[in-house]
Amino acid sequence: MKFIVQFIAILFFAHLMDLFLPWYSIALAAFVVGYFLKSRLTFLAGFLAIATLWTFNAWLIDSSSTSDLATRVSHILNLKHVFLLYLLMATIGGVVGGFAAMTGALLRDTVAD
Amino acid sequence: MTTEHLMRVIKFLISLSVTLLLIFVLDRRWDIGGAPIPPVARFLDPLGGFWRNIEPTDMKAPEPMPIQGVTDDITIILDSLAIPHIFAANDLDLYFAQGYVTARHRLWQMEFLTHAAAGRVSEIAGVGKDNAILDYDRGQRRLGMVYAAKRGLDALVTNQEAMIMLEKYTEGVNAYISTLSYKNLPFEYKLLNYSPEKWTTMKCLLLLKSMAQSLTMREKDMEMTNTLKLFGPEMVSLLFPDKEGVPDPIIDNPGGWKFNRTISDSIPLALPDELIKLQKLPGPNPANGSNNWVVSGAKTSTGAPILSGDPHLDLSMPSLWYAIQLHAPGINAIGTSLPGLPGVIIGCTDSIAWSETNAQRDMVDWYKIKFEDGTRNKYWLDSQWVESKKVVEKFVPRGSDIFYDTIVYTEWGPIPYDASFHSKDNRTNYAFKWMGHEPTEDVIAIYKLNRANNYKQFTEAISHAGCPGQNFAFASMSGDIAMHVQGKFPLRRQLEGKFVLDGSRKSSGWLRTIPTQENIFRLNPARGFESSANQYPADETYPFYITAGSFEAYRNRRINNELRKMQNIKVSDMMKLQTDNYNLKAAEILPLMIEQLKGSNLNDKQKDAVKLISSWDYIDDPGSDGATYFEVWFRKVIALTWDEMQSDEVLLQRPTDFTTIKFIRENPSFIFFDIKSTPEVETAGDIIRKAFLLSVDDIDQWKKAHHESKVPWGDYKNSFINHLLRISALGQQIPGGGSAETINALTKSHGPSWRMIASLEKTGIKMWAVYPGGQSGNPGSRYYNNMTDHWLHGKYYELKSYATADEAQGESLYKLEIEKPRH
Repeated sequence: MKFIVQFIAILFFAHLMDLFLPWYSIALAAFVVGYFLKSRLTFLAGFLAIATLWTFNAWLIDSSSTSDLATRVSHILNLKHVFLLYLLMATIGGVVGGFAAMTGALLRDTVAD
Repeated sequence: MTTEHLMRVIKFLISLSVTLLLIFVLDRRWDIGGAPIPPVARFLDPLGGFWRNIEPTDMKAPEPMPIQGVTDDITIILDSLAIPHIFAANDLDLYFAQGYVTARHRLWQMEFLTHAAAGRVSEIAGVGKDNAILDYDRGQRRLGMVYAAKRGLDALVTNQEAMIMLEKYTEGVNAYISTLSYKNLPFEYKLLNYSPEKWTTMKCLLLLKSMAQSLTMREKDMEMTNTLKLFGPEMVSLLFPDKEGVPDPIIDNPGGWKFNRTISDSIPLALPDELIKLQKLPGPNPANGSNNWVVSGAKTSTGAPILSGDPHLDLSMPSLWYAIQLHAPGINAIGTSLPGLPGVIIGCTDSIAWSETNAQRDMVDWYKIKFEDGTRNKYWLDSQWVESKKVVEKFVPRGSDIFYDTIVYTEWGPIPYDASFHSKDNRTNYAFKWMGHEPTEDVIAIYKLNRANNYKQFTEAISHAGCPGQNFAFASMSGDIAMHVQGKFPLRRQLEGKFVLDGSRKSSGWLRTIPTQENIFRLNPARGFESSANQYPADETYPFYITAGSFEAYRNRRINNELRKMQNIKVSDMMKLQTDNYNLKAAEILPLMIEQLKGSNLNDKQKDAVKLISSWDYIDDPGSDGATYFEVWFRKVIALTWDEMQSDEVLLQRPTDFTTIKFIRENPSFIFFDIKSTPEVETAGDIIRKAFLLSVDDIDQWKKAHHESKVPWGDYKNSFINHLLRISALGQQIPGGGSAETINALTKSHGPSWRMIASLEKTGIKMWAVYPGGQSGNPGSRYYNNMTDHWLHGKYYELKSYATADEAQGESLYKLEIEKPRH
């Protein structure tokens, strides 16, 4: 349960901040949520939240257009299929989100006692 | 602090460091093995990165927006092709809006092209592999491109109309730039991770000079000088005659030139003691050229003149051209514009239409300079040592140290090649004189053309056109048709400008330019049509000496042969002619080539090839195998014949195909048919047979490599429109027909960059056009390449010129409103 709350909170705040601020604001969102809401799988929550957020938004944009820019970008980055571009994007966002959330949780640990 | 607590702090610090390091690494641009990698996370973030450049299929019109600098409300209607129709209350707002709306679609391209013109690409892309990009940049500065633009701008400062155009356009571009943050930057800025700088009037001039460069710098003065030294004057006039005797010059009017100004004196040659050895900067594509023609009402089904035009240039993504309508009191022009330059370049007003082709004429000369010593501080001019001027150019390549280059300027112009640049023997000092360095009034020509409504206004407008020299086809609603070869052409003495000139005497300079009224032109010809396709401009009785890099010899005749036959012409006939793939060169030489194979001992593959090519109809259609066989065979003939002209050291050039064919026909034992590397003495027949065997082998290899049993011309030629950054994933394959000699002159990456046909009917001008690519420069837009398919298949779109914004809105994509700021 805690995990799901954490996941949703990161997703929500990261989305809000990413709309107006540079991409690394997602790390701040994950960090803050990781600090205040703790679960046993904080890293995973951060990872999945950002990976989901980014994948969903990218898919939303991609599916509302006939443009093949995503495929073109895959080729520019030497990826054979656009699926790999999604995977790369989700992994990158996820890792940053995961570490940021974990850092928040670990900071909480240091002030807990 | 307990050990446990310390452990927690350490864990936290490690995790924090990893997070920050990740952010740093993923927010940074990397250069891996010369391939730039964008800041990965910033680039891939769907809320800010490249995904934001993917445009939804249904675009919503933005809210009306007040913009500072606008004097009245402006309405811009984007039609279903995203072509803007601008309705403004005055010239100020009109050009403001043109700058704004063009930047909205093409900002990255506009800026990149001006960087390319000014020799600043390395600022964006680094020095490149083997310093290739820095070398390109140095070349542009050394040719004096910035110097040319600056002089051009200085000369316009006192012209109010020109300055309104340039300044308001610039303001409009900057108004758009000021709306940008990282998230809505054009795609390429995100990919290469940089931001646009402010637009300037200077950038407009740079673009103009860059176009002049592509159309005038294919000269061959140094090559001719070496040919003269190696083979003598008789051979030069045989191999490179100024008049090749191609039928159908632009204006064939023997005895009709009512002025006689033949210059009797000639200019002394300045032959250097040694052959010129340097690595010449890659010139513009030799195929740069165009077609245009106009037929009078007497030859059309409606009784109204029809004008057709298609400029052939390097094809690129984003597209070279940007279609637009400009409407304000005193002006209603529609046609195509160059992103970065105000006005319409080719198109129609309410009652006239015009289209340009390149005049080819020589506007470049090289002057041999004698310096006092190695410092090059002084050079010899009219019996005294004159101070040279040294300009230090600064280059700021991305990721490398700042580079300084010293360029020596003389009275004649800059010295591009010297010991530090592209010279192969350190003895080269030739000053470069270019009409583009002279202050010309081309911007004024555009301003006035866009407002011309009859022949008189048209001729007044184009009298301001200077460099490049252009062949203007003209038609008016009142029924006039005309052709004008217009530009600031140096009035040349015999052979002046064909070879390098003596830079130690002022008398070697240009005397003056040919007065406009003595340029080549004709109004309402008896034959009922005019045409031009970069061929020699006039018959032999035109009194001025004319030289050029080369002139066209086939498209011109094909066009005229067809136009002469045609009566009752419909617009659809003109469309068919504009996309015609008939190869006149093949028709003229192939039967003779096939004849040479008689009696040869051929294997089965070769016999099949003969059979196939013998039944070919000379049409370069994409599916034609015969076209491929001919093309490969003929290229081999050319390469084997002119082996003497291939040298890594000495600058040389091959004669034209037309002249080569003449030798094959009339002088098959000409000394140049002998292949130097073989002991035998070859004739034209031997060359043709040898070339045939080689070409069948080549095509066989192609078939094996592609696992094909046939070799269709479209597939073999494999035309491709590449992105300006040479990133093929952003380009597009265009398997079309045609070749350099067909009216549809589509070669590998070059061809009809805009096709237009206008019917000047009394009830209003009707216009059709198409170009490869689309209005948007954004690869994430459906308008990035939505017109390519139509263009490839010879189809057109009707381009409507609207009288009011309300009329335009009916079929619009959406309306863009710019409001005057209200206080």
